Amino acid sequence: MSPDPDDDGWPARFEAELVRLGQHPARARALAQESVDQAVEAGSDADRLLGPPHLYARHLVSELNDVPAPPGVGGPPAPGRVLLRLADVGKRYRRRVVLAGVDLTVRAGEVAAVVGANGCGKSTLLRICAGLTRPTSGTVERTRRVGLVPQDGGTAPWLTAAEHFTLFGAAAGLAPRRARSTGEHLAARLSWRPAAGQPAQDLSGGTRQKLNLVLGELHSPDLLLLDEPYQGFDQGTYLDFWRQVVAWRDAGRGVVVVTHLLHDLRHVDQVLDLGSRPGARVAAVAR
Amino acid sequence: MTAVVVAGLTLREVARRRAVMVLLVGMPLAFYLARRDLPGQSTRMLTLGIGWAVATLTLFVVNAQRGVDPRLRLAGASVTALVGGRLLAMTAAGTGLAAAFWGMVAVLQDVRRPWAIGPLMLVSVLVGVPFGSLVGALLPRELEGALALLTVVAVQMLAHPEGLLAEVMPFWSARELGNYAIDATAVGDLWKALAHAGVTWTLATGATLALFARRLQVAQYPEP
Repeated sequence: MSPDPDDDGWPARFEAELVRLGQHPARARALAQESVDQAVEAGSDADRLLGPPHLYARHLVSELNDVPAPPGVGGPPAPGRVLLRLADVGKRYRRRVVLAGVDLTVRAGEVAAVVGANGCGKSTLLRICAGLTRPTSGTVERTRRVGLVPQDGGTAPWLTAAEHFTLFGAAAGLAPRRARSTGEHLAARLSWRPAAGQPAQDLSGGTRQKLNLVLGELHSPDLLLLDEPYQGFDQGTYLDFWRQVVAWRDAGRGVVVVTHLLHDLRHVDQVLDLGSRPGARVAAVAR
Repeated sequence: MTAVVVAGLTLREVARRRAVMVLLVGMPLAFYLARRDLPGQSTRMLTLGIGWAVATLTLFVVNAQRGVDPRLRLAGASVTALVGGRLLAMTAAGTGLAAAFWGMVAVLQDVRRPWAIGPLMLVSVLVGVPFGSLVGALLPRELEGALALLTVVAVQMLAHPEGLLAEVMPFWSARELGNYAIDATAVGDLWKALAHAGVTWTLATGATLALFARRLQVAQYPEP
């Protein structure tokens, strides 16, 4: 039996997410049916076996990107859709110029790094991309679904990780149970299992940043804006983080990551150098 | 839905701050105990103490979420849900506190209209919550906000009750209702107090929402 798109169950949500990610509707329907069959064969339900539908859809799409589509049922997602475009963006606070003439285009399946010295406006640029700060000049075009991971803060000190998942899930219209399930799946990808009853303020700095990362991704954004999100990560988590960035890229998401670690740049597709001082001339380097 | 989740989680956060909970109860109680031999003075001080404690706690709750709110807005939450949820939670917490103190005063003090002590304390909570959030929206640092609230409550205590200064202060309604409950003044005082509380609540809530709507505005960029 084919999943009914009007049904609010796992197959329908999975199919809808596949279509949203660019899969042909017929192929999305076939993949949804295959996934349900796979769960039935394993004696489980799809949610338990494969996880939240929107996450599994992204995972599957990233796997499918290397496999040619069967003839007649559509193809892989159309690559290269522009998710963010900045044209001649500038920002000044009274007479102090923070940014000037910034151009940047990020497409689906791309990772862009923003580098530069302290105080050159990297975080301001990320806030402009998010829409939390308005540019003084220039134009910004951006996809609607965006997630922001700040350098620090961004969590409620007295709430546990599960309560954060519930809160951020509610903001995105997710039911509490689904939000917690999604959060736990995302945390597991960073080798983290949130402890019950532990408030965020009692987490180590690195674990709090993992929570920040999960919250930035919980509502399944198309574009992720990361402001040096790896503060406090140990070596293993740091590697997990970059593996996750690559997985996002392969799943057709766009990523903008502020960094000052030059060895990070081997993971990225383009580098935006904001220079050594506020308002310095900007160079965009495609890799 | 989002407002209800925000309200529930705000209550959990507040409940986990044990020292804050102790001070929330202890501060009005200290005001009361200082003049417990005088029913009028002690009840009026208790009422102002409730308003001050609730307003200060709301100020801290609102300011504690400054890092989280922009991210929640990006995830899709509305300003009304975020601010409304917190105001709802603090009103619920304050109402519980007021109910407990109402019971205490009704048992221990000889007032002319004990039933009116309940509305008296409730008005103090209903005014204190949006007023605390408004101060939090105007003054981003907690210390500055707490000092501003202290100033307002102190002026409210010291100003002549019949003077214009007292009437334009936010907790004037509680003082007026106190006259009705404790000294059994005319029913006109009750209506004046309720009208003042309604106007104060509306202005403070509206101004809080407007300020947060401005602060948490997310630019609506066109899609590429």
